[in-house]
Amino acid sequence: METELGLKPGEIGLGTTLVAVGFDGGVIIGADSRTSMGGAYVVNRVTDKLTYVSDRIYCCRSGSAADTQAVANLVTYYLQLYAIQHGEEPPVRVAAALFQELCYKNKEMLSAGIICAGWDKYAGGSVYGIPIGGSLHKLPYATAGSGSTYLYGYLDTAFRPNMTKEETIELVKTAIALAIGRDGSSGGCIRLAVITEDGVERHFIPGDQVPVLGI
Amino acid sequence: MVSRVNVPKGGFNFDNYQRNLILQQNGYSMPKATKTGTTITGMKFKNGVILGADTRATGEALVQDKNCPKIHRMAPNIFCCGAGTAADADKVTDMVASQLELHRLATGRESRVTTVLATLSQYLFRYQGHVAAALVLGGVDVDGPQLFSVAPHGSTDKLPYLSQGSGSLSAIAVFEERWRENMERDEAIELVKDSIKAGIFNDMGSGFNIDLVVIEKGRADFYRNIETPCPTIEKIGNYKFQPGTTAVLSESFRNFVTITEGDAMDIS
Amino acid sequence: MSSIGTGYDLSVSTYSPDGRVFQVEYAAKAVDNSGTVIGLRVPEGIVLAVEKLVQSKLLVPKSNRSIQTVDTHIGVATAGLLADGRHIVNRARDEAESYRDIYRVPISGKMIADRVGHYVQIYTLYSSVRPFGASAIIGTFDLDGPQLYMIEPSGVYWGYHGCAIGKGKQVAKTEIEKLNLDKLSIVDAVKQAARIIYAVHDEAKDKEFELELSWVTAQNKRHEFVPADLAAEAERLAKESLNEEMEDD
Repeated sequence: METELGLKPGEIGLGTTLVAVGFDGGVIIGADSRTSMGGAYVVNRVTDKLTYVSDRIYCCRSGSAADTQAVANLVTYYLQLYAIQHGEEPPVRVAAALFQELCYKNKEMLSAGIICAGWDKYAGGSVYGIPIGGSLHKLPYATAGSGSTYLYGYLDTAFRPNMTKEETIELVKTAIALAIGRDGSSGGCIRLAVITEDGVERHFIPGDQVPVLGI
Repeated sequence: MVSRVNVPKGGFNFDNYQRNLILQQNGYSMPKATKTGTTITGMKFKNGVILGADTRATGEALVQDKNCPKIHRMAPNIFCCGAGTAADADKVTDMVASQLELHRLATGRESRVTTVLATLSQYLFRYQGHVAAALVLGGVDVDGPQLFSVAPHGSTDKLPYLSQGSGSLSAIAVFEERWRENMERDEAIELVKDSIKAGIFNDMGSGFNIDLVVIEKGRADFYRNIETPCPTIEKIGNYKFQPGTTAVLSESFRNFVTITEGDAMDIS
Repeated sequence: MSSIGTGYDLSVSTYSPDGRVFQVEYAAKAVDNSGTVIGLRVPEGIVLAVEKLVQSKLLVPKSNRSIQTVDTHIGVATAGLLADGRHIVNRARDEAESYRDIYRVPISGKMIADRVGHYVQIYTLYSSVRPFGASAIIGTFDLDGPQLYMIEPSGVYWGYHGCAIGKGKQVAKTEIEKLNLDKLSIVDAVKQAARIIYAVHDEAKDKEFELELSWVTAQNKRHEFVPADLAAEAERLAKESLNEEMEDD
């Protein structure tokens, strides 16, 4: 089921499940790995939708693959410039503001739903949601993409403040597995990234090890 | 001084875009561009990258070219297969190839695959899918062997094996079944050939011969028509008539010119 | 000055044979002739104080401010030619605004000083322009705490614990050095700043002056003028200490 709006004919989309959850000392972001075209053909089954924008800030991309890649590349460039001019890594709120500016100013052209998450020395771990339309929301946890519809309720009940890293990994992994199970546009593997002061730790759960939940 | 003469500058012209939309709404159909309804594939192997392509180019239901080269040389170490609108794929690859040549002359260094990827994807993104080229890009540079696909809207994918074009579904099935990591050169060539053949035989838009390029560190071997799985079959009958087949019923000769005086012209 | 008559001091685009740009040094002189301006950095914030010399009794009090707000969290005090100072402040406001437009966060002290410093430096390169006859003391509170910078007419800027420019800068600097800035409360810093301005004022040469006092506090991280009651109290104490000094003499 392709629920992503505003794709052009023949455009490659990221019918997606994205989840980002903040925890003590950082954030954990996760995504499925399916890239599809026209809701019928899987173009890439091992996509990495968790995209680097600076050393401790990543974005999760949903919507048009072309649009979100272009926006992420632009933000990466701006953040490199920031790091050089300021002599220190940019804070997450600056990265999120750049995403928002690009997504809002070009809203007629873009179909991009982005989560921007990471760690900085001022705010610690933080999560920002930038849905289609270009608004900006600071959140304790966020979900986006076509699979997110199946997750809001789950996350609202399962999320607790000040969880440990291990608990949070489990929460994100379970959430994506649930969405993969119900959303046709999400699937493949689960990719995770743990972003803390110490750096970025990547996890990969192959398709045959994705938990099967429910009946 | 501002010139009063409007000199066309080349490139795209959108003057008739709105008019054409209205014409289309009124039921007039636009002429269709020649598409390379295509199978193009690429895979990584032990020592490098192999790209493959079929050679059919179609315009609506008609084959326009039976041996159309779809593998483009971007740089001595980088090649690119093009699918989609043939004119767009040719133009975009030619333009980038020319930029790369100049860049190499300026820097004195080997071209890099990421440079090609960035240039291609940024160009395609700028035209929002109206430059309808789907590409498979492969090469070996300082970062080692690399393989990417670029979709018409400008998105890119990085994969160990991939296919594009109308025959991509048949072709990818071959890879999904038989691709393994670190394959030897010979078996890798066979696999790419088979993936193209899957497109040639199962996809209406693909056909005729197989082109192939093997890129390894320091060398690239291009095989034009490495295999021709669709040879032109010798016709059993023919339409040539032997001289004398037609019976002569009568003959008549007539002089149109009569020489009345003087010598005849020397026409020796 | 050794350069007089040599012709090497006519343009900023000409060096003197010993590698100096005299026009920039003259610009610094213009600053040295102005009323004293000081800035103090204490853990709770920044205090800016200006000895504004009043040219005429007909002027409306509190007009022609030489302390101005550049962004909510940035105050700038200028010394030297007032109009040149205004121009620098205007540029600082543009920089602060454009930074906010791009990054959606307030500009840091380091960045605003860097950008304004660059701008001032450009005016030391071309024969068609005159270097600024003004210095700017920038006080701000950013993510890393209170920041104090001073930009000179040459374009150089440094970060300070405390700084002074203008006529009384030598005396003011000695006074500031005596303070224990790391321990001083912001209210005490205001009082000290007022005291120093009163102490450096030369009653014999300059008759009237107006004391301008502003701060950026850790409490609300805003640049504002010191509340009237505290300013009055600081001014009263400053006058008192001046009288005590005179009695001691």
